[in-house]
Amino acid sequence: MKFRYAMVCSSNQNRSMEAHSLLKRQGFDVSSYGTGSHVKLPGPSLREPNVYDFGTPYKQMFDDLRRKDPDLYKRNGILPMLKRNSSVKLAPQRWQENAADGSFDVVLSFEEKVFDMVIEDLHNRDQALMKSVLVINLEVKDNHEEAAIGGRLALDLCQEIEAVESWEDSIDEIIAAFETKHRRKLLYSISFY
Amino acid sequence: MASRDQALSLLAAANTHSDLAVKLSSLKQAKDILLSVEPSLAAELFPYLAELQFSPENLVRKMLVKIIEEIGLKAMEHCSVLIPVLLAFMKDTDPLVARQSIISCTHIFCAVLEEMALQFRRRGKVEHGLEELWLWMIKFKDAVFAIAMEPGYVGTKLLSLKFLETYILLFTDDTNDSDKLVAEGNRQLFNVSWLVGGHPVLDPVALMSDADRTLGILLDFLQSPSNLPGSLTIVVVNCLAAIARKRPLHYGTVLSALLDFSPNFEAVKVCHTASILYSLRTAFLGFLRCTHPVIFESRDRLLRALRAMNAGDAADQVIRQVDKMIKNNERASRESRFSRDDQLSSQLPVSGDQLRKRSVSLDTEELANGHEVSSKRICYGPNISSTVPIQINDSEEESVSVNGHLPKNPPPLSRSGNLPVSRPIGPVSSPAQVVVTSAPTNSFSPVPTAHVPFSATNGLSLSDTSTANNSPADAKRDPRRDPRRLDPRRAASSVGVPSIPITDDAGAMEPEFDGSISLSKPLSLPVVTSVESPALPMSNSETDDKAIENPLVPESDQVSLKEKIFSKPEDAVPSSEVKTSSDHGLSPPHTVDEDSVASKLSDVEVTFEAHTSAFMELDQHSPAVSNTSIPEETCQDLPQLPIYIELTEEQQRNVRKLAVERIIESYKPLPGTDYSWTRMALLARLVAQIDADDDIVVMLQNHIVLDYQLQKGHELVLHILYHLHSLVTLDSAGSSSYASALYEKFLLVVAKSLLDTFPASDKSFSRLLGEVPVLPESALTLLDDLCYRDVLDSHGKEVRDGERVTQGLGAVWGLILGRPNNRQACLDIALKCAVHSQDDIRAKAIRLVANKLYQLNYIADNIEQFATKMILSAVDQRTSDTELSQSGSTDQREGEVGSQETSVSGSQLSDTGNCETNTARGAQGVVQSASTMSLSEAQRLVSLFFALCTQKPTLLQLVFDIYGRAPKTVKQAVHRNIPILIRALGSSYSELLRIISDPPEGCENLLMLVLQKLTQETMPSADLIATVKHLYETKLKDATILIPILSSLSKNEVLPIFPRLVGLPIEKFQMALAHILQGSAHTGPALTPAEVLVAIHDISPEKDGLALKKITDACSACFEQRTVFTQQVLAKALNQMVDQTPLPLLFMRTVIQAVDAFPTLVDFVMELLSKLVSRQVWKMPKLWVGFLKCVSQTRPHSFRVLLQLPPPLLESALNKHANLRGPLATYASQPSIKTSLPRSTLAVLGLLNDSQTQQHVTSLHPSETSSSVHGANLT
Repeated sequence: MKFRYAMVCSSNQNRSMEAHSLLKRQGFDVSSYGTGSHVKLPGPSLREPNVYDFGTPYKQMFDDLRRKDPDLYKRNGILPMLKRNSSVKLAPQRWQENAADGSFDVVLSFEEKVFDMVIEDLHNRDQALMKSVLVINLEVKDNHEEAAIGGRLALDLCQEIEAVESWEDSIDEIIAAFETKHRRKLLYSISFY
Repeated sequence: MASRDQALSLLAAANTHSDLAVKLSSLKQAKDILLSVEPSLAAELFPYLAELQFSPENLVRKMLVKIIEEIGLKAMEHCSVLIPVLLAFMKDTDPLVARQSIISCTHIFCAVLEEMALQFRRRGKVEHGLEELWLWMIKFKDAVFAIAMEPGYVGTKLLSLKFLETYILLFTDDTNDSDKLVAEGNRQLFNVSWLVGGHPVLDPVALMSDADRTLGILLDFLQSPSNLPGSLTIVVVNCLAAIARKRPLHYGTVLSALLDFSPNFEAVKVCHTASILYSLRTAFLGFLRCTHPVIFESRDRLLRALRAMNAGDAADQVIRQVDKMIKNNERASRESRFSRDDQLSSQLPVSGDQLRKRSVSLDTEELANGHEVSSKRICYGPNISSTVPIQINDSEEESVSVNGHLPKNPPPLSRSGNLPVSRPIGPVSSPAQVVVTSAPTNSFSPVPTAHVPFSATNGLSLSDTSTANNSPADAKRDPRRDPRRLDPRRAASSVGVPSIPITDDAGAMEPEFDGSISLSKPLSLPVVTSVESPALPMSNSETDDKAIENPLVPESDQVSLKEKIFSKPEDAVPSSEVKTSSDHGLSPPHTVDEDSVASKLSDVEVTFEAHTSAFMELDQHSPAVSNTSIPEETCQDLPQLPIYIELTEEQQRNVRKLAVERIIESYKPLPGTDYSWTRMALLARLVAQIDADDDIVVMLQNHIVLDYQLQKGHELVLHILYHLHSLVTLDSAGSSSYASALYEKFLLVVAKSLLDTFPASDKSFSRLLGEVPVLPESALTLLDDLCYRDVLDSHGKEVRDGERVTQGLGAVWGLILGRPNNRQACLDIALKCAVHSQDDIRAKAIRLVANKLYQLNYIADNIEQFATKMILSAVDQRTSDTELSQSGSTDQREGEVGSQETSVSGSQLSDTGNCETNTARGAQGVVQSASTMSLSEAQRLVSLFFALCTQKPTLLQLVFDIYGRAPKTVKQAVHRNIPILIRALGSSYSELLRIISDPPEGCENLLMLVLQKLTQETMPSADLIATVKHLYETKLKDATILIPILSSLSKNEVLPIFPRLVGLPIEKFQMALAHILQGSAHTGPALTPAEVLVAIHDISPEKDGLALKKITDACSACFEQRTVFTQQVLAKALNQMVDQTPLPLLFMRTVIQAVDAFPTLVDFVMELLSKLVSRQVWKMPKLWVGFLKCVSQTRPHSFRVLLQLPPPLLESALNKHANLRGPLATYASQPSIKTSLPRSTLAVLGLLNDSQTQQHVTSLHPSETSSSVHGANLT
């Protein structure tokens, strides 16, 4: 594997973790992040989400929610998701605070808003390394089913990127081919570390 | 040598070994050696290293690139040999190697630039090696440009584009870029603005125009996007966006290029169009995030463009974010300020002058140099102008205003021209450190008199310095907060000991110095001179260790010293101007004409040089020598002394103005330094010292407002104000009153212009008031006007918009929190607004007072008192505005307030003597207002109190207490507020329960209202029900209060009190009925309608002591509700009652009413009547009358029942209702019926022959019958 990948969604729970989990199993060098200010999980109603700080271990959230309402969170898939996540890594990480994790070659975001935030954040960093980074947005709805599909698409895309000599020369083709094949729209941008 | 050989063999291995792994590890080891040995030694090995460029392994080559970068950054002068290797690698077959070499070269490129600029600044020249390296760098640049233009690997081209961006950023002046630090992180990158003073190798003008050309190259890419891969176009757009954001100079060009950019995508096959368009969108959104004024201006254009690409929402969101961010920043700064204030106030008593000052200077210095403060010894000797011009001894006070320097213990003054005070004692085996603060830059000022207060106390300065070292934490504190930081005397006072006196001339001085040295006493001479300009923090920041550290390397001392001096020409210039402009009317050395100023300006650098060289000498020579040499050198170009030129007032004013203007205008920071601080301090002193006339104030004000948003304006204002304030508080008499007047004037002017210039949402005004050293009365008046006065004249001109009031109240809040001294006055303003006659203003103020201020325990009492007083005044019909008199404001304020009163001031409140005289008028006033007090007026006075009640329900007691005697309008106002209050209290009305359990007299209506509201939306709690029941049982027998809780009571609870409810006035009973029937969601209705009817009938007038009329009214009330008391309900109730023994008194009446109301019930009624017959209804006289009446009314249906009566009774019935007889006889004579009738009955009906007698009987009693029937109907 030539490149380092980052999967980014808003809370680093569902979409990014689905992709992270999948890519990790396929042997990719992959990390995952969220760009929100907090980690938000659905609560008993739309108005009362469960809010955690980034860095709170998945296990801890799992215990917390299981204590609050095991039936509800089992039914809506949150508990299984948290369990899956805790097997991938310890805790959700925030994209904006990942400078210490080193540079990535390819960043995949799953929502336009997240894409914007990643680019803006990269822009605000000290771009001293002069290392280019490819940022791609693949729009995926934030539910379990779509996340599963999105994860597979992400894997496919990363495999395509990994397969070429240098993505800089062929990114247009890769993107175009992916769009035709999966009938999904992509966006990409290039920034620097 | 050993390492050299080892390195050679490792390099050889890296070149020739067959195993790649070995090659790489050898190379790595060789690198470690190269980096560890002396650069010159390593340089010998570079050719061998360079040979590796021909290695066939691309990994080796790539590693070589990285190694060259590392070495290049370390041993820059020597690495010219290696750069060609990198240049060659840029065309390497492996794109990875090529890319790495571009990256490495770029890093070296930046480092070389920086080094060249610094070297020139430090030493005045650039090393040859570096110069050569720069030539290579230019070649590199050309090569990269070529790569960007020519076809090749896209990855490599992307990097070359990134280099173009870097190049443009480096060589575009960044002086005015506000968010420089934010945008580029904390690194201090080279920028072409460093070269402003000129450079032997680098030509700033050429470089800048080259940058412009480069920008042109980037822009050209947008002309022909169809030929480019999409990734390239995107990177070009991103680079341009970055340039525009970081260097607003180019913003206009870039923006229009991007706006015009609409590639013909049809022709493009390979591009991913959506992403390219998106990169434009990202760029525009990025611009929107910038707060730089240039970019800010183009918001509209950006918004249009973004809307055109369907990104309007995102754009709006970004704008909201930015606005919020700005707000948050302001709030954060305000909060941190409060906490800092606390911290500071606790530490103020510490005599930390010196500490603090030291930290200040350290800060500045570190900022200034961007790297560690170089060690240096302490003697910057002869400091000529850092002194008081002392020729005129009695002008001490004025000298303060001239030089800003006034020693606390005015030392004997010296007239000596240049007092030698340099003492390189440190290295001379003396344990004591000599701290000599000096301001060498001042040496070219036209005041060459030296005045050097110094103490010769042994060991004293040692202790000084150690204290100075002790508190690194101080450096963290914001020096601005210290009102004394601008006090020029701190320098002097830091000596803190009896200063020892300075002799009259240098000659006399020297022996003493010499003597002390030869004795090598640990004598210290902390020659403390005034720090004229804070930008000359110099040796005060030198600490023990640093001072001792380095006696062997004099060169470094000089270098650092020089660097410092070099870095400050800007400051030096104004400071010299200060002198010239401010020394008017004083002592000899006043060369005040513009020419001389100019000539001195041009001399600045020369003087610096002279100075530095003097210092170099100083280090090596005895003090005596240096003493003499320096003055000579430095004074060469200065005018002879004393020169005294009389200026006219006019000229003086012009010069002053010119000076200030110049300082304001000439502000151009050098990179890596923050001279704004110096400038501010200078301006502060100038404003204080010169007769700041209106011109200057206006000039400053304009400048400040212009600059305000970048925050520098604010800083400047604070500097000036703090300085003035320090004069006020510390100065001896005379100037302090002048300073305080100036202070007030300046503050007001700035505050007003902030209000006029910025929108109401701007926090600058509030921040200003919050941070100035002290708030004069006039500032509070301004605030008062903002919140209150202008709005008052609503009849007159325009009414101030509410936003301004919000702004004012926000400021008030901030001041209450942050300024204990002004707390009361501010609170008064807030309270005054809280009873404002304009609803929206009052609402705002009340929100502030109740939700925020009332939480502060130190003013809660005041607020409470005020609110209480207001509500009482409403109750007692005293509509006055004298609320403030009690809350402790000054007389003056009271007077003001009095003038705007509408009616007579509440004479009871002001416990002054005029109470008597006012009584008569007061009484009149009461009458007047009693008749005029409107609901809105009452509302005005009570709202605040109710708002407080939500925070503190115990206060409600008062409302209940006063309710009884309150006038109608006040009651209405109370009624209006109660629902809101109850809602706000929510379920936490335990306090209310206490009041409810023991209500004061006269508040029943209020109590009812409260209960109603409490029970209206929610189930009343068990506590509430218990309380109300208890109250009913004990104190208040009025069943009315039970009504609201009826719905929650059970049948068993309702039935006992039911007669009491029936006894209530009819409308209350109806209400009660509604509650009973409504019931609660849990238990259902307490009684069904049928049960209600039965309950009503069960009431016995005698036993329950209730008038029968009440009961019949209750019945009627039920019958009125035909939808509730339907015929089924009636039937059910009657059916139930007919079996009761005894039958309810009103039974027959109800039956009659029922059949009246629902004629279809007639069959049912007939059954009832038959039942009654069987129950021998005639034995119940009252019912019997009703029975007959009913029968009569319901004929002919009732005939069947009638015929069931025993004949004697039938007889009497027919006698009473004679009109029945005929029809009944007709009915009975029908054959089918007649046969079934007994004979006696027929006889009564006269269907037998002896009917005559019967008729007679009947005719005897007609009147009697009718009257009795009538009575039955009533009873």
